[in-house]
Amino acid sequence: MQADKSRKILIIEDEEELAFGLAIFLKSRGYSVVIANDSLHGISLSHKEDVDFVILDLGLPAGGGLFVLENLKRSVDTINIPVVIVTASQDQEAQKKAFKLGIEAYLQKPFEPEDILSYIEKAIGKNNPSF
Amino acid sequence: MNKKRKNTKDSQSLRMVLQELNDNPYRQFKVAFCLTSLIPFLVFFYLLVGRIGTFDVLTGNIGWILGITVFIVVCGFYFGYIIIKKILKRVIFYAIKAKRSDQLKSVFVASVSHELKNPLSIIKMNLFNMLKGLAGEINNEQRRIVELCRNVTDRMSCLVNNLLDLHKIEVGMVEIRRELCDFTNILETQVRELESGIKKKNIKLVKNLVTSNLFMWLDGDKITQVVNNILGNAVKYTPEGGRITLNVTCNQELVRLECADSGSGIPADKTEKIFDKFERIGSLEEGTGLGLAIAKDIVELHKGRIWVESLLGKGSNFIVVLPRNLRRTKKENNAGGQE
Repeated sequence: MQADKSRKILIIEDEEELAFGLAIFLKSRGYSVVIANDSLHGISLSHKEDVDFVILDLGLPAGGGLFVLENLKRSVDTINIPVVIVTASQDQEAQKKAFKLGIEAYLQKPFEPEDILSYIEKAIGKNNPSF
Repeated sequence: MNKKRKNTKDSQSLRMVLQELNDNPYRQFKVAFCLTSLIPFLVFFYLLVGRIGTFDVLTGNIGWILGITVFIVVCGFYFGYIIIKKILKRVIFYAIKAKRSDQLKSVFVASVSHELKNPLSIIKMNLFNMLKGLAGEINNEQRRIVELCRNVTDRMSCLVNNLLDLHKIEVGMVEIRRELCDFTNILETQVRELESGIKKKNIKLVKNLVTSNLFMWLDGDKITQVVNNILGNAVKYTPEGGRITLNVTCNQELVRLECADSGSGIPADKTEKIFDKFERIGSLEEGTGLGLAIAKDIVELHKGRIWVESLLGKGSNFIVVLPRNLRRTKKENNAGGQE
C-alpha cells in the first residue's frame, strides 16, 4: 500500500542534489514532493501549496532555516504543519530555538532516510510497506 | 610605519581583551604597585618621626645621602614598574594569541565538518536510493560495489562526527548533563545493539552484573557512547569463538565496569598511548582511532577514570570507574544556571 498521493511534503534544502535524492525516495513511498532551494521560496510554497509536512535545512540562503521556521509557526495557515530539521550545523542555540518553536525532530546530516520517513509517518499517520 | 600600525592593532586587541575581563589587570597592578611602594617611605617616616623625633638628620651630609637614597629608591620603583608592566603586557598578548588561535580552530573545524557533512549526506542519500532500486534495478555485482561505497561513507561520517565531538570536548563546549540513569540498562542496550556481531563471530559473552538496576547520576547519552566504544572494540578484536566478560561491581561511592576480551592483547608500551588521538591497536583494523580518546575525555568529564590492563596474546581488560552519587559539580551547576 502506497501513501495517499494527496499527502504533500515540502523539502526546503539548498543542496539540490540532496533534495533530489530525498524527493526520489519519498515519491517512491507514494508522497508528492515540492522542493524549494531558499528560504523565501520555501515560505512562499508553504502558503501556496497544501503542504502536510516540511523537511527544513537550517543553513539556507535568503534568511536561513530558523527564519523559515519562525514564519511557519507564526502564520495561522502553516502553524500546524509538522517540521523536521535536517542540518549539518552544530549550533546548540539554534537547536534549542528550533525545539522551542515546535519541531518534530532535529536530525544531523548525514541522516538515515528511513528516520525521516518514520517521522513523516508518525506525524501524518501513514503506514507504508517496506521494500 | 609598519611597526606603528602593528602597535596600534595590538593596542586595539589589548583593549578588546581588557573589556572582556571583569577586572582590569593594569589598574589592579598599578594600585598594588603604588601600595607596595609606600611601604619603605612609611618605614622611613616612622623612623624619622617615631624613633628619632627630629628632622635634623635631613640637613647636612646625612640629608644629602638620604636624598640620594630616596631618589635611587624612586628610580628603582619607576624602572621596576616599567619592567613588570612590560612582562604583564607580554603575558596578556600571549593570552590573546592563544584565544585567537582557539577561535580560529573552532571556526575551522566547524566549517570543515559542515562542508564535509553536506556532500556526505548527498552521497549517502543517493547510494541509499540506488540500493533500494529507485534508480533502476542493479545486479549483484553492482549492489556489492554500492554497498562498499555506503560503508565507506558511513565510516567517513563517523570520522567527521568523532572529530567534532573531540573538538567540542577540547574547547570545553561539551556540558555534562547528569540525570538519574540505570547503568545496567545502558549496558544491556549496548549489548543488544552489538548482538549481531557477537553471534556472527560466535563469541561467548559472560555478564556479571551486580544488580538488575544500578541507578547513578550520569549523562546517559555520553556514557552510552563510552560503553558502545569499549564493547564495540571488544567485539572487533575478539577472534571467532572467543570470549568477552562484562563485570560490574559497585560500592556506595564508585561503580566499576570491566570489559575483558580474549583478543590478541595490547603491547605494554601502548596501553597508555591507546587513549591518544588517532592511535589504533592494529593498523589494519577499521576505525577512526578517536573512539577511545573521546571515551577517556567523557569519563574524565564525569570525574571518573578509564584504563586498560592487557597481556599480549591473552587479551585486554578495559576498566572504567565512575563516581556513583556525584550529581553535579560546582562548574556544572553554574553552566546549568546560565541556561
